[in-house]
Amino acid sequence: MAEATSHPGESFGDAGRASRPPSAASAPPILAALDVHRTYRFGQVEVPVLRGASIEIGRGEWVAILGQSGSGKSTLMHLLGGLDRPDAGRGTIEFDGRSVNLGAGRSLDRYRNRDVGFVFQFYHLLPELSVLENACLPGLVGGWFGHARAAAARRRAGELLEQAGLSHRLRHRPAELSGGERQRVAIARALVNGPRVLLADEPTGNLDATTGASILDLIAAQHAEGLTVAMVTHDASVAARAQRVVHLRDGQVVQD
Amino acid sequence: MYAALLSNRYLTSRVIPLIAVGAVALCVALVIIVVSVMSGFLDMLKASGRTLIGDVIVSSGIGGIPHYDEWLADLRALPEVEEATPVIDTLGLLRMPYPSGPSKEIAPVQVWAIEPDSFARVTAYGEKVWWRPPADDAAREAMLPDDPRLRMDGSILRDGLTLTQGATGKPGIVMGMHVSVGNARQSDGSYRPRFGWFMPGEEVTLTVVPVSESGTISEPRDATFPVVNEVFSGVYDVDKSRVFIPLAQAQQLLRLDAAPLYDTTAETDAEGNLPLLGTTPARVTKVLIRAKTGVDALAARDAVEASWDAFVAKAARRSDRLGRPPERVSILTWEQQLRDLIGPVEKEREMMRILFSIIYIVCAGLILSIFWSIVIEKTRDIGILRSVGASRFGILWIFLRYGLAIGVVGSLAGVGIAWVVVDNINLIHEAIGRDAPRAAWITTCALSVLSVVMALRSLVWRGRLLPGLLWTIATVTLGIVTLALLGHRGTLIWDPSVYYFSRIPSQVDWFNAAITVGGGIVFSVIGAAIPAAKAADVDPVEALRYG
Repeated sequence: MAEATSHPGESFGDAGRASRPPSAASAPPILAALDVHRTYRFGQVEVPVLRGASIEIGRGEWVAILGQSGSGKSTLMHLLGGLDRPDAGRGTIEFDGRSVNLGAGRSLDRYRNRDVGFVFQFYHLLPELSVLENACLPGLVGGWFGHARAAAARRRAGELLEQAGLSHRLRHRPAELSGGERQRVAIARALVNGPRVLLADEPTGNLDATTGASILDLIAAQHAEGLTVAMVTHDASVAARAQRVVHLRDGQVVQD
Repeated sequence: MYAALLSNRYLTSRVIPLIAVGAVALCVALVIIVVSVMSGFLDMLKASGRTLIGDVIVSSGIGGIPHYDEWLADLRALPEVEEATPVIDTLGLLRMPYPSGPSKEIAPVQVWAIEPDSFARVTAYGEKVWWRPPADDAAREAMLPDDPRLRMDGSILRDGLTLTQGATGKPGIVMGMHVSVGNARQSDGSYRPRFGWFMPGEEVTLTVVPVSESGTISEPRDATFPVVNEVFSGVYDVDKSRVFIPLAQAQQLLRLDAAPLYDTTAETDAEGNLPLLGTTPARVTKVLIRAKTGVDALAARDAVEASWDAFVAKAARRSDRLGRPPERVSILTWEQQLRDLIGPVEKEREMMRILFSIIYIVCAGLILSIFWSIVIEKTRDIGILRSVGASRFGILWIFLRYGLAIGVVGSLAGVGIAWVVVDNINLIHEAIGRDAPRAAWITTCALSVLSVVMALRSLVWRGRLLPGLLWTIATVTLGIVTLALLGHRGTLIWDPSVYYFSRIPSQVDWFNAAITVGGGIVFSVIGAAIPAAKAADVDPVEALRYG
């Protein structure tokens, strides 16, 4: 594993690009964070969470981002997934060679909808919707008159839920499912639009070991079909399922 | 698409939105009911007010209109005019036959002297003469057994329509229904004699004061008339003060009839007579005109104005006779004439509309507070939606659409409630006017006892505070309703003896209902807009982390 390099003080974006960190893959990365900084303000207090973190994720790679609580793992995941942006002029997120955090809000919405899929520790399913409706939700987002698209999303969600062993639960509400089943629905939802990268934030953190292993098996199956996976965890045994483990400490990638 | 799915699901899977729908429905229903009843009342007032004045009213000064017969002929020849009738309008004092004894009551009255035939063709006078036998079996069935009209024959109606006492051939008087104290209005809108005084057949003495063209007041003159009938227009001011007498008698009493004019400045002849200058023509103070069917009152007024100008010009060219029409007369449509009567009611309706429209703000505030709590509760959902690519506008649209759905469903439900209430308002009113049925208070009492049991079950056996409190509130409410029903002995809210309309207007004002529905929807969306904007501004990371 190569030592990650950080570039504090160096500007990114159009004005200047951070020098690339060493990548495990020789091909151009599909997703990269380049010297990103992220500081949160709590009243008068500024708390820097990421301090020049850089990471490159190759196509078809499964990368685990390992770190303690408060190390900035989830923040890095949010930045990689376009849910948040780095501090102004302090870092770039690149997807397939183009910056995703410099565009307008609409292009970021589209990026979250089409290019990446999220899986969260607490599943984050909508309680009013059925299993099938939750799974096809990304397919319904982003179009006014997309009945054909909705039908396609419903079909694809049905297939994914069948693969996840939930075809008998399609009309159930999330409250009627176990934790493992909810996480399977969340994975089906993340994959319904056929994203190229799956971003999983502690996907087994709320599950027992057996159920967690089955969830990792499901992710592994998708990875085997070519899906790129970036997974945040604080559990080394979970991280061990990945091809590559990146260590994050105090807002910086310290070991890759 | 997801906005539709989510807003529909939020609407149908929760109780709070149903409360918002109910609030909107009640607000809309309340406004529609109040405005419909007020509009109906106004329409009835206009119709009643128009009853006895025709479409166009021409009023002259105290000197009256000479050669009015010629002008009436001109008017009747106009294509816009169906009929015209002469009237003298003056004030008088009526000496009543009551009380018994030498001292009698005097009532101030507005005297309208009319030609009954043409007056009935211009106005609805013929329909408003009250005392008459029932027109057919259906009308007979509709009357209560003690209604005096059931025992009448056609002579009383004929006398009223001709202003002549048939038995004696004397000119008669028709009085407004409430000029005398002898008529008591019943809850069905009919009348019964009161204090033993049934006015038709009695004699009254009318005193009027002739006033010359120059305004000189002459000695009061009086005449006794038999009361031949009474008239009910539906407008209290009219029914309380107006009496009708034949035109010819009024012209004599008021010295407005045709009379020889002598030259008082000349010497008398051998027989002691002054030289005769000519004959002053008979005069009237008003002409009422009915427009032809389909002719607008304003168009008819314009035609009457042109006709008047021509009549004045023609009279000016006639130097061979006495009596010049006045240069200026007042020519008004019926609506302009009744402005003083209708105007305040219209203003009252608008004031009610404005006051009740404040309820929209309450409605918007209610939706705002409900939505605010929903947005806070749904913060995490908003984060999830943003994570799957929903835009800020998409989030905004979910809640706006949600507010729109509540506004549309609530407003339409409100129209339904209003329609049911307004359509059955007289039935509801009659039910309120009767004692509460025994089944009603027994039912509420039984439900109250059941609520006590449920409250005790929740509080004592299960130890649950919220259901216990709800059942306690239900117990108290049902107990109060039971006591109110037990004590209810019939309340007549719309008393026909006060309002002079026997039935409450029961037509929904659909134009105003449409405006009210629009208002309900707009204010629901406004109420939802602020929480929706807050939802759109939610930071997805914060929402997922802390929502």
